[in-house]
Amino acid sequence: MQKLVVVALNSLLAAGLYATMSYGLAVIYGVMRIINLAHAGLMMLAAYATYALNERFGLDPFVSLLVVAPAFFVLGMALYATLIRWLPRSSTGPSMQSLLLLFGVWLVLQNLAYAIWGGDTQSILTSYTMESVQVLGGRFGVPQILVFGVSLLSLVGLTLVLRRTYLGKAIRAVTQNRDAAMLSGVNAGQIAAVAFGIGTAFAAMAGSMLSTLYAFTPDFGRSFLLKAFCIIVLGGMESFTGVAVGALVLAFIENFASAYTSIPVSFQDAISFTLLVVVLVAAPGGLPGLWKTFDRRAVAR
Amino acid sequence: MGFFRRHPALPLGLLFASALLLAPAVAERGTLNDLWNMAFFVVLASAWNLLGGFAGQVSLGYSAFVGIGAYTTVLLANAGWSPALTLPLGAALAVAFSVLVGLPTFRLRGPYFTIATIGVGEAVRVIASGLEFTGGSSGVRMPAGAFDFNGNYYAMVGLALVTLALVAWLQQHAFGLSLEAIRQDIDAAEALGVNSTRAKLQAHALSAALVAVAGGLFATNFQYISPGSVFDFRLSLTIVLMPIVGGMGTVTGPVLGALLFSYLQIKLLASPTLRDSYLFIYGGLLIVVMLFEPKGIVGLWERLVGRRPRRPAPVTEVRRAS
Repeated sequence: MQKLVVVALNSLLAAGLYATMSYGLAVIYGVMRIINLAHAGLMMLAAYATYALNERFGLDPFVSLLVVAPAFFVLGMALYATLIRWLPRSSTGPSMQSLLLLFGVWLVLQNLAYAIWGGDTQSILTSYTMESVQVLGGRFGVPQILVFGVSLLSLVGLTLVLRRTYLGKAIRAVTQNRDAAMLSGVNAGQIAAVAFGIGTAFAAMAGSMLSTLYAFTPDFGRSFLLKAFCIIVLGGMESFTGVAVGALVLAFIENFASAYTSIPVSFQDAISFTLLVVVLVAAPGGLPGLWKTFDRRAVAR
Repeated sequence: MGFFRRHPALPLGLLFASALLLAPAVAERGTLNDLWNMAFFVVLASAWNLLGGFAGQVSLGYSAFVGIGAYTTVLLANAGWSPALTLPLGAALAVAFSVLVGLPTFRLRGPYFTIATIGVGEAVRVIASGLEFTGGSSGVRMPAGAFDFNGNYYAMVGLALVTLALVAWLQQHAFGLSLEAIRQDIDAAEALGVNSTRAKLQAHALSAALVAVAGGLFATNFQYISPGSVFDFRLSLTIVLMPIVGGMGTVTGPVLGALLFSYLQIKLLASPTLRDSYLFIYGGLLIVVMLFEPKGIVGLWERLVGRRPRRPAPVTEVRRAS
């Protein structure tokens, strides 16, 4: 029973980070119908930026978020202005062209990190990296708890922006129906630029926080990109609440699988990949899609 | 002459093929190594193009097939099997795997399929690194013994020529046309009686078999393989980039891409500064091609010469919406 509680709490802590990691992908997909493959490269670059700020100025990783996130917001807008906006728009779904273009951006970012910091594995050590606290009979790392706290704050912030501000309402409007939003006077191009900035800033926050938990190389981020993609597919691609639920589901499955089954640690990443393929094939609408199907059946009966 | 008019590349191709097959008599080992490399890339690019170019199903998981072919050859060679048996067996295993992967993932469309194939490729690499009998992440070595480079060279060049002939032939026939129809509009193709899932599975299986044989030859040539060399994401990446840069969905495009990339690779290996920036080059090429000419070198050529393509643009999906 105690083990159950500890594993559940661990899953919850992981879910916070997973949600932050996925929101950026979801915002960009929602507004532009683009799958941002460069997300992984942006997370990696943010991890290195955090590392550099820590080395050079002794800035705490969580404090450096205040610098890294705005900087990446600007970087995201710049990426949009220079590359993304020139792509032909597709109304039916994400185009192969945008996917491959952003894949190219990812490769360039990887090489950039490699040119500046080299290919060695880096990690950030702070005074609290090894600290942990005892709660309900389980030990939880201080970085994990901090990451969860910051994730929660950022998600609450994003929700407030999306619900209370004009910008947020415009983003949601474009996500639901671009043409209708434009008819109501929303400047969809501008909104897309801002949304790409927000998505990039969220990738950066996730990357900064990942750097306090994991060691990283320029190749870092691929498995997290796949996890994030798995989460937004689980969440039904367009729903922001769905992302939170998807993050919880993936985190619980991963943690419970490693705690209660004999799947070796080296195969743990394969869980999310397998889940991704299974969900894409069996429930393309994600959990909301499944829910609707059941709902409809219940009503029909 | 009508025959040559219908196949304008044939005389050139035959000339090229005989030059390649005669090369071991005159050329040095270094040149032959470069030619071997080109042939290897031509096989990978052209085989991938069957599914990715013709049918428009961009897969980022093809290193799995290289790996399956390579591991089958090395592991069975260590058990005393001859390459004449291990190469076809590797191809058969790759076909089986391609069907296993294709059955669920071909229900996905466009980018969703692509993302799923990243997942499949990663899962295969993770599993190959974790298993006992594959030697884990440290890889496996071929048994010590005499190694016949010329034999391997002929096999690789022969495979490249067979692949090209096959691809060129398929493009002209019903199978190639049904793949083309799937790329342009899968629903319309289905409505016209194309069994899209079966056609995609067949294209996947065929290209998997070709790639796996190339992987087996790769393993015999390099004598040593590891998940980092044959299951690597960068290999999948190179396989995809060659046809994209050259021109997806054409017969010549992947060949041009493969020649460009093997040339780049030879140059890159020679210069340390370039070697450190190969991802700049790959990524930059991808960005430039996607922004300016999604049809690659072939598209650029057609634009320069001002010739309208005989068929509609071989791009996966560039639909300008309302």
